[in-house]
Amino acid sequence: MDVPLYLEPRLESRLASLLRARTFLHTLAGGLGSPLNVVLPDRIAENLAAFRAVYRRHHLSGGIFFAHKANRSSALVRRLAATEAAVDVASLGELQHALGSGFVPDRIMATGPKNPEFLWLAARSGTTVNIDSPAELGQLAALVRDYGLPRLRILLRLSGFCAPGVRLLTRQSRFGTAEAELDGLLKSVERHRDAVELTGVGYHLDTTSPAEKAVALEGCVKALDTCRARGFTPRAVDIGGGFGTDYLADGAQWQRYTTELTNAALGTRPPMTWRRHTYGLRNENGTLRGALALYPAHRPTAGAQYLDTLLSLPAPSLGRPLATLLLENLYELHTEPGRALVDQCGVTLARVLEVRRTEATDRTEATDHTEPSDRREATDDRPEPSDRTDNADRAGTAGRTGPGHLLVRLDANADDIGLEEHGVLVDPVLVPRTAPGGAPDTGPVTCYLAGNLCLEADMITRRAVHLPSAPRPGDLLAFANTAGYCMDFSADEAQQQPVARKVAVWQDGPADDTGREDASWHWCLDEQYWPHVNRRTKGSA
Amino acid sequence: MRFERITDAIGNTPLVRIDPSVHGLRTIDLYAKLEMLNPFGSVKDRAAWNMVRPGLSAAADEDRTVIELSSGNTAKALAVLAGMHGVPFKTVTNRMRIPEIKDLLLLLGAEVEELPGQTECLDPTNTDDPLTAFHQTLTEPGSAYLYTDQYYNDRNTQAHVEGTGPEIVKDLDGRAPDWFIACVGTAGSSTGVARVLREHDPRVEVVGLVSHKADFVPGIRTIDEVQEVGLFDPGTYGTIASVTADEAIDGMLTLARRCGILAGPTSGAAYFGAVRHLRELDDGPAPGPDSDPDRPAGRRTAVFIVCDRIESYLGYVRQRRPELLGRPPQPNSVATVSDAEVRGAPDIGVEDARRWIEHDRPLVVDLRSPFAYTALHIAGSVNIVDELFGELVRGGLPFSKSRPVLLACPVGEQSAKYAALLARMGHPDVRSLRGGIIAWRDAGAPLVRE
Ligand SMILES: Cc1ncc(COP(=O)(O)O)c(C=O)c1O
Repeated sequence: MDVPLYLEPRLESRLASLLRARTFLHTLAGGLGSPLNVVLPDRIAENLAAFRAVYRRHHLSGGIFFAHKANRSSALVRRLAATEAAVDVASLGELQHALGSGFVPDRIMATGPKNPEFLWLAARSGTTVNIDSPAELGQLAALVRDYGLPRLRILLRLSGFCAPGVRLLTRQSRFGTAEAELDGLLKSVERHRDAVELTGVGYHLDTTSPAEKAVALEGCVKALDTCRARGFTPRAVDIGGGFGTDYLADGAQWQRYTTELTNAALGTRPPMTWRRHTYGLRNENGTLRGALALYPAHRPTAGAQYLDTLLSLPAPSLGRPLATLLLENLYELHTEPGRALVDQCGVTLARVLEVRRTEATDRTEATDHTEPSDRREATDDRPEPSDRTDNADRAGTAGRTGPGHLLVRLDANADDIGLEEHGVLVDPVLVPRTAPGGAPDTGPVTCYLAGNLCLEADMITRRAVHLPSAPRPGDLLAFANTAGYCMDFSADEAQQQPVARKVAVWQDGPADDTGREDASWHWCLDEQYWPHVNRRTKGSA
Repeated sequence: MRFERITDAIGNTPLVRIDPSVHGLRTIDLYAKLEMLNPFGSVKDRAAWNMVRPGLSAAADEDRTVIELSSGNTAKALAVLAGMHGVPFKTVTNRMRIPEIKDLLLLLGAEVEELPGQTECLDPTNTDDPLTAFHQTLTEPGSAYLYTDQYYNDRNTQAHVEGTGPEIVKDLDGRAPDWFIACVGTAGSSTGVARVLREHDPRVEVVGLVSHKADFVPGIRTIDEVQEVGLFDPGTYGTIASVTADEAIDGMLTLARRCGILAGPTSGAAYFGAVRHLRELDDGPAPGPDSDPDRPAGRRTAVFIVCDRIESYLGYVRQRRPELLGRPPQPNSVATVSDAEVRGAPDIGVEDARRWIEHDRPLVVDLRSPFAYTALHIAGSVNIVDELFGELVRGGLPFSKSRPVLLACPVGEQSAKYAALLARMGHPDVRSLRGGIIAWRDAGAPLVRE
């Protein structure tokens, strides 16, 4: 019998402790409904400290700007405001939120392409502006002059860097100004010297490849030298975000899983997905084509460690380690981690509404283990002990009638749980309604997770998910590590289903080590969270 | 042996027996097919020449560029072959992971282009693999390329059907071996040789080796990646097994140190995979009634391919097994300076340093790179980048003891180490600039750009 194709989530101490707090989670979801987003503000401060430690190791100074776009939570942003972090905002709303959460303009940077309202508030408040295009620079300078505003600090976002020798191709970006056009851009900065002060240049590349980023980072150091030669006194290189997150506990599971996906695309094993979706792979005469359109969920080098690796790489033409290059040129380093800074900072809970066996109409996954189950059609959430024999019988019947799988309908939709949308494959954790031992242990099952919309496409996973035991109506599925882009990035009120509420949770004291009893959890609504307020006065369960 | 052209030296490589005391197999004779002895250094010389030969003169006449998707040996052979015929060569790779090969290709006159890495944010509209995108640009009308297409080109396989395979049979006195073991990259060599051997004896067992999925062995693919190869047919192999980078290096060491075969990690992987596979079968049954009467009773034969040479892979080894290249620390190296020595290193703060420079004119040595030094430095200082300075002091003090020395680096860390070292070497008045050039700048002291 094959081991089920699990993709177990990586859970570090805080998140693991939270998911063990079964009663607490059920109380929260019971009171606030499903889906429910839970954020852990203390963890973001720990992640920040890990980034800062890498700076320290390389003797570098400079800002760590949280890329706000990764999550809308107030608790996370307010918690960061109480640290030394800075914040990267990419819209008017995010800027307002950062200001309202306690970030002073000194600690805010506006990035990305900007509309007039966003530019205005940035200019008026004295927020540093990361200039995306020459036109934007013109607009900004006009605002400063027309309204007699103080001189504004700017950085220039560059793109299209070239390396010597071997040509490193980089995906074309819609953002920033080509490095080759730096000269023209500097001419405009010179023209607008009364309105803006050039403090640095930077890039953000949408790639996992440190080699490409090394080319860009060195390109920025050279660009800064050009700026210096022209009489500017810039101090910083901003290397953007994209440090990544490791979502999985076990790299071997990921390797086994992706091999099986390849085999499924080639037709050498039964499909593993709803309607034979292949995540971008295809079979052309027995040869695999296409690209696996998935986030590399297993990333041994992610987050602060990725930054460390990048800074240790040699500069492609100057040869010095990138950190040394920055340091000896007396530059600061700015980073804009989004996903990496909210690693382990959140979980999305969804209630199980219905569990049923689907008909094996298509050629679906062969289940090579006994598939127990629960064929009760509707939301009978009161399993009786006598179900045990009943289930066994049914499993036997199912076994004879051919392979099938469970369809688990959740009270949440695909936009609430953005993992699939963002290509992150990771299993949810079952948080049973009844205490362990209270329900029969079904053994491993294979299931599809469907959403609460009246829409065939509303699948929370397009793949068959393997769980160590069958969910029952009333149980919760906890989707771990959703705080980076997978929580509220695209949640809406389709079909007037409620958008998930968000709560902040915390424990007294540091995260518990395994073996020690977990400290109890406290909570409040996300918008009620302020880092300084005596947390004991807020809810606990 | 006299040849008119270097290309005539491609092929006819030796088949060398591995001493049984090395591999320890009792009933199996293991032979290495030394493809590393091809003139440009690898098994790919055959395929490259066979693929590019028909189109080369036309490409020269029509000013076309030879192009291939290769990060290693095929690119190397094609670069040479194209260069010899006055045709430009360009290779596009999916991350060239062996820096020496990259430099070698540039040296040979190739143009090298590396494809971008995976996106960090999933773009669901972007599902085309680099290969497909590559094929599209090459099939555009009026393409200025001669594309050798090694992953799909039957002439790749054919080179081994006509060369490598028959050579093995000939050297085994007209018999096919019982096992043939090869690493799978384009699948050209394993497919071609397997075809020939099977025609001789359908019982030959073919073992294909791939890289362990989480690992990287140069030139070969992982079990998933081979599926992207047009020439790859799983039916070619009786067994497909994976080898880790560590195992490949172990195999490479055995070949180099014990067999005198100075081959790269892919060959090490083939040797390792061969012995691992054969060890299980070593006590195999005595030959059956239909066995070949010419064979010594009970003895069987296996052949594996030695793909390329060891020289390019020092960096690969250094990264994975630095202890294999370990050198004892040298006496006057900064690595020998203890933490206590660094703490006790003579240093001087910015204000005092400025006065000292004014009065005693110490030699100010800036240890940063020339790029940084040129941009901004202390007036009158000299620039000796730390790596170079380290080399210099290894041979003794590089300046007179009568001249005071002020060492400066970005934050005062490197300079403290060197100050401690120079003091230990007997320099009476060397000091490290405390807090480095950064402290100097932050104190508002002048820095110049000349
Ligand atoms: C300019 C900029 N900075 C930072 C980020 C954050 O990237 P990540 O969440 O991968 O760290 C993004 C993401 O799109 C971005 O566009």
